[in-house]
Amino acid sequence: MNAELMVLIILLPIIAGALVPVIPFKNRKQMLIFIESAVILNSVLVWSLLLNRPTESFVLFRFTGNLSVTFRLDGLGRVFAWIVSTLWPLATLYSFEYMKHEGHEKFFFMFYTVTYGVTLGIIFSGNLLSMYFFYEMLSLVTLPLVMHTLSREAILASRTYLYYSIGGAAFAFIGMIFILSYGVTLDFIPGGVLDPEAIGDKVNVLLIVYVLCFCGFSVKSAMFPFCAWLPKAGVAPTPVTALLHAVAVVKAGAFATMRVTYYSFGADFVRGTWAQDVILCLTIFTIVYGCSRAVKETHIKRRLAWSTVSNLSYILFGVALMTPLGLTGALSHMVFHAVMKICSFFCAGAVMYKTGRHYVHELNGLGRKMPRVFTIFTIAGLALMGVPGLCGFISKWNLVRAAVESETVLGYVGVAALLISALLTAIYMMSITMRAFFPGREFDDKTVEGIEDPNWMMLLPLFLFTAAIVIFGIHSEPVIAALSAVASVIG
Amino acid sequence: MSVVILLAILLPMVVGMALLLVLAAKKEKDAQPTTEELKRLHITVAAVLVATAALGLAAAWLGSGDEGVTLFYLMKDIPVYFRIDELGKLYVTFISIVWVMVGMYSFVYMSHEGKEQRFFGYYLIVYGVLIALSFSGNIVTLYLFYELMTLATVPLVLHNGSREAIMAALKYLFYSMCGAYMGLFGIFFLYRYCDTLEFVPGGSLNMSLAQGHGTILLIAVFLMILGFGVKGGMLPMHAWLPTAHPVAPSPASAVLSGIIVKSGVLATIRVVFFMVGADFIRGTWVQTAWMTLTLITVFMGSLLAFREKVFKKRLAYSTVSQASYILFGLSVLQPQAMTGALLHTVFHAFIKTALFLTAGVFIFKCHKTRVEELPGIGRMMPKTLWCFTFASLALVGIPPASGFISKWYLAQGALQAKVGVYGWMGPVVLLASALLTAGYLLSVTTKGFFPGEAAQESYEDKEPSMGMLLPLIILAALTLLLGIFPNPLIGFAGRIASSVM
Repeated sequence: MNAELMVLIILLPIIAGALVPVIPFKNRKQMLIFIESAVILNSVLVWSLLLNRPTESFVLFRFTGNLSVTFRLDGLGRVFAWIVSTLWPLATLYSFEYMKHEGHEKFFFMFYTVTYGVTLGIIFSGNLLSMYFFYEMLSLVTLPLVMHTLSREAILASRTYLYYSIGGAAFAFIGMIFILSYGVTLDFIPGGVLDPEAIGDKVNVLLIVYVLCFCGFSVKSAMFPFCAWLPKAGVAPTPVTALLHAVAVVKAGAFATMRVTYYSFGADFVRGTWAQDVILCLTIFTIVYGCSRAVKETHIKRRLAWSTVSNLSYILFGVALMTPLGLTGALSHMVFHAVMKICSFFCAGAVMYKTGRHYVHELNGLGRKMPRVFTIFTIAGLALMGVPGLCGFISKWNLVRAAVESETVLGYVGVAALLISALLTAIYMMSITMRAFFPGREFDDKTVEGIEDPNWMMLLPLFLFTAAIVIFGIHSEPVIAALSAVASVIG
Repeated sequence: MSVVILLAILLPMVVGMALLLVLAAKKEKDAQPTTEELKRLHITVAAVLVATAALGLAAAWLGSGDEGVTLFYLMKDIPVYFRIDELGKLYVTFISIVWVMVGMYSFVYMSHEGKEQRFFGYYLIVYGVLIALSFSGNIVTLYLFYELMTLATVPLVLHNGSREAIMAALKYLFYSMCGAYMGLFGIFFLYRYCDTLEFVPGGSLNMSLAQGHGTILLIAVFLMILGFGVKGGMLPMHAWLPTAHPVAPSPASAVLSGIIVKSGVLATIRVVFFMVGADFIRGTWVQTAWMTLTLITVFMGSLLAFREKVFKKRLAYSTVSQASYILFGLSVLQPQAMTGALLHTVFHAFIKTALFLTAGVFIFKCHKTRVEELPGIGRMMPKTLWCFTFASLALVGIPPASGFISKWYLAQGALQAKVGVYGWMGPVVLLASALLTAGYLLSVTTKGFFPGEAAQESYEDKEPSMGMLLPLIILAALTLLLGIFPNPLIGFAGRIASSVM
């Protein structure tokens, strides 16, 4: 039963999405109800599956010998599945209101819903091949979403996005081939599948392949030097930037790196080698680089995108520490960053939707007219900075704890990088808050006349995210316990 | 008693937030409040201030000693936890006195700054946060309220809304954040290498765990000292003080200088003497660097104050210098010097508050902000200038005023500590700085009373109303009285110092 359910869960959004342009809806409302109910139904199915906790794997079909498309749900997948299935209905609700002013809604919602299924496909993949398959599909179905506006800028951005993703996948493919030849199986097994006898004296070759494979998958999670596509993709409509480019797509990249690190190559194989150092250096550099670019950027959404670049490398840094504690930190940041960043993107989107303003310097005094949106934005900003009592502090604490306990110089440098990045985060988030709430004496109220908070469809997701930020911040224990149970499997 | 602690913390925070929310819900935000509304606001704020002070002092002094209360668990092993100890008692006491006095003064003063409800809203919130900070029982709780304090004081700095004020507030915010994160860096390492995150007199560093990790731990501790030193105005991160103080309304600058700066001192004491332990850094490069930085700051602060012509900026530089007296007293890691540092913390709080309140009177009554405009001011408001003079004498350290006692202990401690050349260099620098202090403060007094050639035929009486004058007189009297009857306080500070070393 569970196996069929898994396939159903993946197919339902894909089919529902594909039907959107076909069904002759009488009016817009009907279409929206259809989409939202499909998404909610699917999320309910996902939750029922998650509560069932099936352990068996299910082979959809087999190409030859050990090449197959397999589905399985394990701890790591459960974490990501919870994030995605909770955020998708809320983000869809938000986009109903937002997409009013973007147009081409049918096509937008088609691809938006299909993406849900494909993301779940990555999550349920039981081996490297299936994950690779869905990973490529994810690039393709999100491409139309990036070029949604069909402006020149959007087309260029989507081209960049395509090149980066395909290039990254090619590197990942190399990794898969090597796992096929030097591993026992392509399946994901905690601790890795490499066969020491087959490797022999080719350890360094495999480490090179590991680095390539890690970098390949981390293209999606925008690690330096593969991060340029993400801010450019900010031309997409806000629901896309918020859900896909802060949560689903980019975290699929991080998720894939976790898979190859802990379930294919195995942390023991890489730990303490030069390969680990290379990856740590790259992630540490990205952490600081992303934040400094965010400070320089004046376009709100691009600023948040650079912030995502930096925060995703927090996750990758946790992964690269190669300890259960590091993975716990990475997973917790995966969960909490999802909430914080989608929240701040939605605030930015609400501002753009209501005022048509895109740049930071245009935000002066808006806090008085949109107090709810900007209060929520401030809370999300404080959480990203890592103020205790909000969820960002918890995940940073766990990451840093892992780094300190690694007792390596790079670990210590990583701690410093996290804190420098926190300071830069304070600069790029708080300067927006200050502008919005304290525009200064010379400010002319007429420039913000007639602007007000958006309606409930936009505010409801925002309120729920804020509640989550605060609740996770002061009562994180159950979440962290669950995450460290997941992470302990690979120890 | 634990309920009282929580009440003292939550009451001002809740009322403050309520004031802000009511303000946010108002349609016409910039409309001048009616006299009736203002009166209501003042009564509310005064009642809450007095009630909080009573609760805070009751929690500190009426309890049966060591009591703790856990608010909630931030993480599995990290509670947000309050505990009353001697240092907390000392802090809550002088913070409460200053807070109530400055609050009273603000009722009159803020009438010319406007936006009173916003000011008092944040003012109350900060009070609650400070009580929480003083009673914090572990380093994470302290860090939490340290951050909250920064965030809640930013609106006080940018109160007048000019571009200059907003830029100053941003500078203050980012300097403070930078410092807080340096502190956080250290906290991560203390979490690993200390037995507990709670404050234990003498520290709780686990030597067997720390074995072999001395270098990184020393770096971490040094970063914490530097980081928390940002609030304490220590070199190289002192620059926010002279920027933020002149643009803030005078009561806000008074508490920034008198109290907020001391919170950096509190955090440093907690880290060095209650977590790491003085023995760990005694004789290391950390101590040497710390002493060097503080001494340079002491001297440089005085020198800059001496040259500065904007009155409030001069006082701000003076704070930079004086706060480093305190930090120097801590850095020699000697009980007597630490006693001096604690005494100076209290004395300087009263003195600098009084000085800033005087500066406020000059601005409020005569719109004079620069030192060269002040000759003859003593003829217009003799009582105010007398208060200023008493506070200045105390700061210079002329017996029997209070500053003398603390400086005496600081110098004695430095001479007795085994810190090599710093043992005599410290007292010399302190002395030189005291001379400069006399130069930059007492010149105001002499010119104020004896304007010489600038004298006018006649001076109007511009003495402020009792609402402003009374807090000033009380604070000035305290600076004098504490110098004449210092023994209970010395004994108390001495007990704290000897308990940790």
